Amino acid sequence: MKFSRRDLLVWSAGAAAGLVLTPVPWKLLDDTSIWSQNWPWIPQPTRGPVDVRQSNCTLCPNGCGLRVRMANGYPVGIAAKTNEPLTQGALCPLAFGAHQLNWHPLRLRSVRHRGVDSSFEEARAAFAKACTEGPIVVIDGFPGRASSAILESFGVKKGEYRVVWGAETRALASYEEWSGVPAALGYDLENTRTILSFGAPLLDGWGIPGRFARRWAQSAGSADPDVRLIQVEPSLSRTAARAWQWVTIRPGSDSALAAGIARVLIEERLVAARSPMPPMTLTDAASQTGLDSNAIRELARAIVAQAPVVAIARDCNPAVAALNVVLGAVGARGGIVQKSKSVRSMASAEDAFPSARAVLIDSSVPWEFVPETSAEVFRFAAWDGGSSKADWLLPAPGFLEELTDIPTAPTSGVESYAIAPALAKAPHTTQSGWQFLAAVDPSLDTPEKVIHSRCAELFRNRRGTLHTSEETPLAKIASAEKLEEQLSQGAIWIGEPARRNSFHCELKEWPADSAPASSAEFPAAWSPPVLPPLASKLYEESNLRGTTQGRTA
Amino acid sequence: MSARYGMVIDLDRCTGCGSCMVACASENNVPSLPHATARTGITPMLVRKVSNGHEGSQQREAFIPILCMHCEEETPCVHVCPQQAVEVDAATGIVMQMPQRCLGCRYCMTACPYHARYFNWSDPKWPKGMETSLNPGVATRMRGVVEKCNLCHSRLHAAQEKAAAVGKREIDPADYVPACVEACPTVAIQFGNLADSNDPVTRESRSANSFRLLAKIGTEPKVYYKSKEAWVRALAEPNSTASGTLHTAASASMEEHHG
Repeated sequence: MKFSRRDLLVWSAGAAAGLVLTPVPWKLLDDTSIWSQNWPWIPQPTRGPVDVRQSNCTLCPNGCGLRVRMANGYPVGIAAKTNEPLTQGALCPLAFGAHQLNWHPLRLRSVRHRGVDSSFEEARAAFAKACTEGPIVVIDGFPGRASSAILESFGVKKGEYRVVWGAETRALASYEEWSGVPAALGYDLENTRTILSFGAPLLDGWGIPGRFARRWAQSAGSADPDVRLIQVEPSLSRTAARAWQWVTIRPGSDSALAAGIARVLIEERLVAARSPMPPMTLTDAASQTGLDSNAIRELARAIVAQAPVVAIARDCNPAVAALNVVLGAVGARGGIVQKSKSVRSMASAEDAFPSARAVLIDSSVPWEFVPETSAEVFRFAAWDGGSSKADWLLPAPGFLEELTDIPTAPTSGVESYAIAPALAKAPHTTQSGWQFLAAVDPSLDTPEKVIHSRCAELFRNRRGTLHTSEETPLAKIASAEKLEEQLSQGAIWIGEPARRNSFHCELKEWPADSAPASSAEFPAAWSPPVLPPLASKLYEESNLRGTTQGRTA
Repeated sequence: MSARYGMVIDLDRCTGCGSCMVACASENNVPSLPHATARTGITPMLVRKVSNGHEGSQQREAFIPILCMHCEEETPCVHVCPQQAVEVDAATGIVMQMPQRCLGCRYCMTACPYHARYFNWSDPKWPKGMETSLNPGVATRMRGVVEKCNLCHSRLHAAQEKAAAVGKREIDPADYVPACVEACPTVAIQFGNLADSNDPVTRESRSANSFRLLAKIGTEPKVYYKSKEAWVRALAEPNSTASGTLHTAASASMEEHHG
């Protein structure tokens, strides 16, 4: 039988019709979709026992209390500790995704020497050689921790120990300078009734996020709130959007406005304290800020209408500090208070160190900090923040991967102490700054030893209270070991509230104008150079914020 | 008696920090890769910034968290789903999405007046190793299905299991709190049972300043908002011209979804 062209056409047409009518191809297509949706390599959560551990956030010096959900030895979720008096059960948005930071694609996992893979042995040999050739400068970003004590000990022995101060700490620097003695200062926000904020992002990550936010929220939106937040800022920030009053001024004119307000307060005798009159006239202040003279007068009257009042600058601004002195807010209830007398002066890393042979930068130092030096730089970091002046880039443990303690937060008005235990295992290719130094100088302590001695000292002093699910006076704790054990399990020690009028500073003359503070998307206290991957994803997919600060995953 | 879970979001307290977004995504194992846009990303809780339309010192902004409104009546997504992959749970009032039934037609996305539904355009992906940080209580969703807020249903399951373990039928309300509610640093989001007249959320939902988005279309959403500011309340209506802006929270979403 001959297979003709006609037969071919008939067969083809029949096959096409059959293909349409038969369910087989559609079933195969459906099954293929389902199979490919469920490939075995598509990630699924690992099953296993779930445990909740208590710790403290180590991403910035505020050390907010965390409840960390653990599964199979890994952190799988983060929530705030609800019963903590300082953080008040709140966290910043970045903390909620922080458990994923350790898996960030920019995580540093190997030593790099000028862009080339190297090893800790080579880095240590180079550092040891540098130690024999000249002074070493050790730079710390979160001073006051147990590991800071080790860094300081080495720095003092071999050269210098310097500190990179955050904007919140720098904003309090002028008072120390004017009083002539080092002082640990903070804000008594719990008792403030009016806050005049010069660009400080009080509702956007400033200080301990929950501390002010919870109090502000109680009367938010009210025409007569319990705490009046007056935000002075050129553009409508998140804090300005929710403030009781938003005062729009020209960029860089914060100092002029502070001087103008101080002049009105003194001229109209709205303040009790006698203070030097600012040299700037009200007309000049109005011209610089872009405000009307009457608007400045009304603002001055408004801020003293509901006392206590305090002015808060975003960064170091002596004019704003001087305004606080005029307002009588320094050393007063609801103002700037001294939380501790046991404080030492520490040199700033911003100043040059020309004679240094090498500089060691701890992983706590914000990536944006670049030392002004030609010395060999050994930089520890958990994440790669992009171009860096470091000769040696050394991978450090990441989030909750090492034991650390949490000293008092920079803006807090009361002393506190907590311990953040290591909840995750650090990659074997990482080392802390103190571990690196200990290999060079074996006489150095370990953080465990320092924490142990600090707990013993706290126990000896018998001051303050220990906060777990309940509040226990320290005098009722049985032993230093018991105190350390409870702190390691998530308790926090809170000192006694600052005594009023325990700190004085005198303003001899109105300070000269200072440089305007920088403005960043996140506060300077945020030290990792990357955002948690979920945060960067969500910010990209919404119109909420940019991701300019911190590189995305 | 069945519950009707809902929320009241105080917009005067919302600072737009985004904690609810991050906590929601972390709790529900939303993949962090690939990065997408507002049109293609997955954001079961999405905080939107809205403005009163003025310039300079008269400009005002508010932040509106948008999530599934859990419509009670004539629920649009339920009506259009050809697969019965969406249903209003009779016991809780939660609008449930079952990814195993979803065939990915996206009718529900088109029907949702709030644009609170998202499509999984690709297989869920995380940076290498990050799958160990996923919440074991929530399964990841596959490519080709729609997903949305389910009021952290896994937390409801956990609360029910806890109650059942001690022989109770009713859960302790303190045991069931969605991740966004727990994360809000200003307590702007309140969660509760709207069927209980003694629940603080029910009282708040009936206050003078409370409102619902697109209430006129009659779907009876169970997410309420409140604000003392009139221009914010005016944004809720579809034809609002309050303060010269037409950018309601929902229409702002719509613009980005449809380019």
